[in-house]
Amino acid sequence: MQASLFVGSHLRRDLLILLALAAVGLLVPHLLNRGLIFIAGMVWINAVFGLSFNLLFGTSGVLSFGQAMFYAAGAYATAVFTQQLGWPLVPSLLIAAIAGGLLAGCIGFVALRRSEGVYFSILTLAFAELVHLLVANTGFLGKNDGLSALPRPRFSLGGWGWDLSRGDTFYYFIVLVSVALIALLRWVTGTGFGRALQAIRQDPERAEFLGIPVQRHRWMVFTLAGATTAAAGSLVAPWAQIVTPELAHWSQSTNPILYTLLGGSAYFWGPVLGAIALSTVFYVTRTLVGLSDLVTGLLLLLVVLALPGGMLGVLSRWTTRSRPAHHKPQEPRP
Amino acid sequence: MVFADVLTLLVNSLTWAMATFLVAAGLTLIFGTLHILNFSHGGFFMIGAYAAYSLTQSLGGSESMAMYLFGALVGGVVVAALGLAVDRLILRRLSGVDDAYVLIATYALLLVCEGGTKLIWGLNYRSVMPPTVLDGAWLAGQAVIPKMSAFIVACGIAVFVAMEFFLNRTRPGRLVKAIAADPWMARLLGVNVRLVYTATVAIGFALAGLAGGLLLANQTLSPSLASGFVIQAFGVIIIGGMGSISGAFLGSILLGLIDAVGQWVLPSLPGLPFFIAMTLILLLRPQGLMGRRH
Repeated sequence: MQASLFVGSHLRRDLLILLALAAVGLLVPHLLNRGLIFIAGMVWINAVFGLSFNLLFGTSGVLSFGQAMFYAAGAYATAVFTQQLGWPLVPSLLIAAIAGGLLAGCIGFVALRRSEGVYFSILTLAFAELVHLLVANTGFLGKNDGLSALPRPRFSLGGWGWDLSRGDTFYYFIVLVSVALIALLRWVTGTGFGRALQAIRQDPERAEFLGIPVQRHRWMVFTLAGATTAAAGSLVAPWAQIVTPELAHWSQSTNPILYTLLGGSAYFWGPVLGAIALSTVFYVTRTLVGLSDLVTGLLLLLVVLALPGGMLGVLSRWTTRSRPAHHKPQEPRP
Repeated sequence: MVFADVLTLLVNSLTWAMATFLVAAGLTLIFGTLHILNFSHGGFFMIGAYAAYSLTQSLGGSESMAMYLFGALVGGVVVAALGLAVDRLILRRLSGVDDAYVLIATYALLLVCEGGTKLIWGLNYRSVMPPTVLDGAWLAGQAVIPKMSAFIVACGIAVFVAMEFFLNRTRPGRLVKAIAADPWMARLLGVNVRLVYTATVAIGFALAGLAGGLLLANQTLSPSLASGFVIQAFGVIIIGGMGSISGAFLGSILLGLIDAVGQWVLPSLPGLPFFIAMTLILLLRPQGLMGRRH
């Protein structure tokens, strides 16, 4: 069963993977040109975005179509605090994560209570559109133009300083924060709470019988995913140096879904692999308009219909010959 | 607020409502029967519009009413054919799959539609003049009623009446309803369920293409047409109660009115009342206005 793939039984292996990723990530500026370094930074941010989404979807089985609102909340919070209030970066990042967590807490409280399945997905989509519209019409947040010329402030701790505005230093900062967030997400997956979520995914009723407070756990993981998503978003603001309402648009919400499914939702590292793969697809197809949408859509269809385990599912079938059962059997259509 | 303003508001909201209903009709038919919430519906609506556009342009413009309607009809046929292919290649394989994956698969199909449209027709915005008969407006006192609006409202009501008649008064329509209610029992009674499913998909997609052709002159054509309408149509069918045609009809009128009142009360926040109303109704009545809990 797929559950065994997710439970925190391979802590040492995952730690090694994380260290290897960090090492490759830190080498990137020495190997690639400036444009590609920017993309590499976005891949790190998107990997955290995807992993946060999969904490929700892969671990507890809740499909949200509105994660962009938390991403945008983090980005806008950082933009406002660093640019308009002149706060240092690190406290602003913390505030951004808290803002995302609070927003997710409120929305999860309402949406999880009243709706299930497809209704929940559409409700999160509606909430995200609400946030998108509000952001696009708030003068304080720059309306449709967003906020631009955002600073990459100096990072200082005691007497030691790190100027993030110069050269590639902000890229290293992104790697540092992303690795920390990935470690946090990996740790949560392995805790008792993470295992309870996996029980909920497999069978909510049975989990309830076993004494797991299903609704409260779903709410907690939704809130946590909102906070980590906002933390990912908070890195975007100083990296792209501009935030626009597009960050909250629902097409942005579908990005982590694409990463997760392409990589394999039953695996912790699935969204990371998916983010790398899709960024490559976008980079290769960037010159021909429409081709990236077409290729992404077809890849995703292929994954859902033929390779439900995603890329890592194919990989693990090659290596272990054990196939993750992904689909819940239902009444078949004739 | 004078009478003319109210009338204009009413005309605008009814136009919005019937345009949305035209798109939502096929969506709700497929959801009601196959229980698939088809994210790509907006994409096929857009393809219908582009197909109708290409046809009428290549035949010398859409000035004549007959040509305009012919374009819409061809749009419907083209999209119905695509629907048959989609059913064969994708929808049939989604039968045993979790709801979340169905939503994601049809979203992937929307991406394919958008990508294909961008490749074939490009990114440029195109606008189409309404046929000469529908160009212009009637004046009712101070109020202006565009003829195109009246045409859209008439189309919406016609599609609603036709669908209600089909589903409640004809044998194949009742069969669709019976299968929607209990496919297992229907199969037991010797009904060819798969054939009815295929026919439903064809009709649902044809309605999407037809809507694209009929609404051609009502908005500019661009590859972003799909995503705007699909969210709007989702709102309408969810509020109406998933799968209920009359629910979708009522839902679109209700949301159209709320949207129009919102534009009058909160002109600085267009679209916001729609999402607030949708959220509130979903929270108070998750099964929708005319729906039953599944």
